[in-house]
Amino acid sequence: MGFHSKNKLCMADQSAKILHRSRQTFWHRIVCFVAIGLLSSVWVLHGTTAIFAQDIPATLTMGTSADYKPFEFHDTSSGEDKIVGFDIDIANRLAQELGFKLEIKDMEFNGLIPALQSGRVDFVMAGMTPTPERQKNVDFSDIYYTSQNTIIAKKEANLTTSEALKGKIVGAQLGSLQQEVAEKIPGATVVTRNRVPDLIQEINAKRIDAAIIEEAIARPYAAVYPDLNFAVIPNKDGGYAIAFPKGSKLVAPFNQVIAKMNQDGSLDALVKKWFEDQGKPAGLGFQQIIPSIPFILGGVWVTLAFTFVSALFGFAWAIVLALCKISTLKPLRWLANAYTSIFRGTPLILQIALVYFATPQLTGYNIPAFQAGVIAFALNSGAYVSETLRAGIMAVDRGQQEAAMSLGVPYSLMMKDIILPQALRNILPALANEAINLLKDSALVSTIGAADLLRRATIVGAEKYLYFEPLIVAGVVYYVLVMLLTIATSNLEKRLQKSA
Amino acid sequence: MLRVENLHKSFGALNVLNGITTNINAGEVVAILGPSGSGKSTFLRCLNLLEIPTQGHIFFKDIDITSPQSDILKIRETIGMVFQHFNLFPHMTVLQNITYAPMRVRNQTKAEATTIALDLLQKVGLEEKAQVYPARLSGGQKQRVAIARTLAMQPEMVLFDEPTSALDPEMVKEVLEVMRTLARSGMTMAIVTHEMGFAREVASRILFINEGQIAEDARPEQFFGNPTCDRAKIFLEKMLK
Repeated sequence: MGFHSKNKLCMADQSAKILHRSRQTFWHRIVCFVAIGLLSSVWVLHGTTAIFAQDIPATLTMGTSADYKPFEFHDTSSGEDKIVGFDIDIANRLAQELGFKLEIKDMEFNGLIPALQSGRVDFVMAGMTPTPERQKNVDFSDIYYTSQNTIIAKKEANLTTSEALKGKIVGAQLGSLQQEVAEKIPGATVVTRNRVPDLIQEINAKRIDAAIIEEAIARPYAAVYPDLNFAVIPNKDGGYAIAFPKGSKLVAPFNQVIAKMNQDGSLDALVKKWFEDQGKPAGLGFQQIIPSIPFILGGVWVTLAFTFVSALFGFAWAIVLALCKISTLKPLRWLANAYTSIFRGTPLILQIALVYFATPQLTGYNIPAFQAGVIAFALNSGAYVSETLRAGIMAVDRGQQEAAMSLGVPYSLMMKDIILPQALRNILPALANEAINLLKDSALVSTIGAADLLRRATIVGAEKYLYFEPLIVAGVVYYVLVMLLTIATSNLEKRLQKSA
Repeated sequence: MLRVENLHKSFGALNVLNGITTNINAGEVVAILGPSGSGKSTFLRCLNLLEIPTQGHIFFKDIDITSPQSDILKIRETIGMVFQHFNLFPHMTVLQNITYAPMRVRNQTKAEATTIALDLLQKVGLEEKAQVYPARLSGGQKQRVAIARTLAMQPEMVLFDEPTSALDPEMVKEVLEVMRTLARSGMTMAIVTHEMGFAREVASRILFINEGQIAEDARPEQFFGNPTCDRAKIFLEKMLK
């Protein structure tokens, strides 16, 4: 890979590297000091039973990208969300052998290596191949699964060899090894998508001719979609390994467990469990996702909570900004206007990514997705609402301010009790609009892994090898929510009008 | 009570007030007359610093309120103002309009403020409108509530900025009646008005302002009977025709 840092968040990455380096020397000292102490005491107390346990923290966080069935994917058929798969079983075995508590963090594949570098996760299992480029940035364990890449395409297209792909459009998952494989095919035009299900859908829609996908992934898709087939690309050096931050002390103990699993046949048993028994098509369409609908609906609360909290903070922030904008102090006005201009002039999805990925690297605080989303949305919504609010304040008759002033009412009280209530009444329809936009835009937090409606729908889609059905369910739910919000605000408007 | 020294006010290049010097004593009812654009409203609005004078001083009870150190909010508490367009707070009931400033600025309890407000409402003849929102009131009723609101702060002086100009003719009387009663109670008042009859009857003194200066300062019977300056003669001819 290696191009993850070229693609995105370049500056944040570099500054993080600087931070990281200085932190490393500090941590080295601490770790050495503690390790020496632990080593001696553990050795004395437990003798040889704790072969590797001396360096293993009580809890380790594993990063993965759970849209890669059967290696790692969300199982929602029980109504609850569980990440399962081949890699997860191995990780659980590692946890058991080495005596740590396993925590799993799900994110997009191309965010995994930045997550290792920023210390957000301790290791990564995500069907990741140790390429030389990746090895510059992270350390790898021994190979635990030998993978083969395939060309998946429509049967009728008859694309079974690399040579046949000349002049064709070939898809691959962004940031994956398959992207590099695709880029080496002579004469092929490579396009990337964030997720494998997107690639399959692009083939079905005939926007791309073929995609390069790992064999174990391609097999069940070919089973679900009878008009697809796949062909293995001959390859010597494929294979998956566990990734660690540079210099991690976990590599050696993890390798010992992998060796043990190879010897006792448990690795082969897992291969059989996940790859040979999978891929039975179980009926198509909505029927298949019915058991997962409660799981999708669980996202309603996440979406609503997210919208509500963001709207609240965004509104409070908008008031501060609007007051700055009508202030007599020039620097305040300038700052508030510059702020608004920046947040209205850049894409929201970019602001979300920056807050989520840059915060841990710049401050060391490992910000959760929900918080990062709320902060980005509040900052963004504040910029928009402050403009509306400013206009609403300007629309309040100047006589109101003069009357309040002539009664000796201080500025803060006047704003709070006299001007803002009237301004709010003026802009209520605009605020309702903003709330609706916020509700719909909240779907963007799914890009940083918050388990909202859209995220849950895509998770179910990846699990069931279906694309449209879960999205349609989510779409209906969004529509119902927006309608309820619309009715609620129009009722509120009517009530306010009556009292005036 | 109020001393004005060499007051100037300009808006950009436009000089509205060109050196006004006068005194207003406690208990006086001063009617400020003059042609439109003469600066009489601006003069009044300078007295509680709704307009900041460009030059000159205003002393209220010997305190220079135009100095940057003066506590302008405290001064506005004691100089009330009634506006041409009433400026009632539309999102508050009549009672809330009146009790708001006494409670929030003067820290009166709700019970205290309400008692005073109801008493004032009775005096302006609107006690039955206490729970009504301003949108339900006629112009004359609104202005009477606005006067009650100003009086609730127990001011030492009240400024009236054309209080009847925005009213239908049949409502002018009820507002003037309230003002007349207030004048008789001994309140110090400065009134910008076009009601010549009212000025003649109620005012103890007339200030005639022309082109940003006091052109005539006289008792009403003298001003209306035999004005000295020509501009005042022309003005009166027009107004009394």
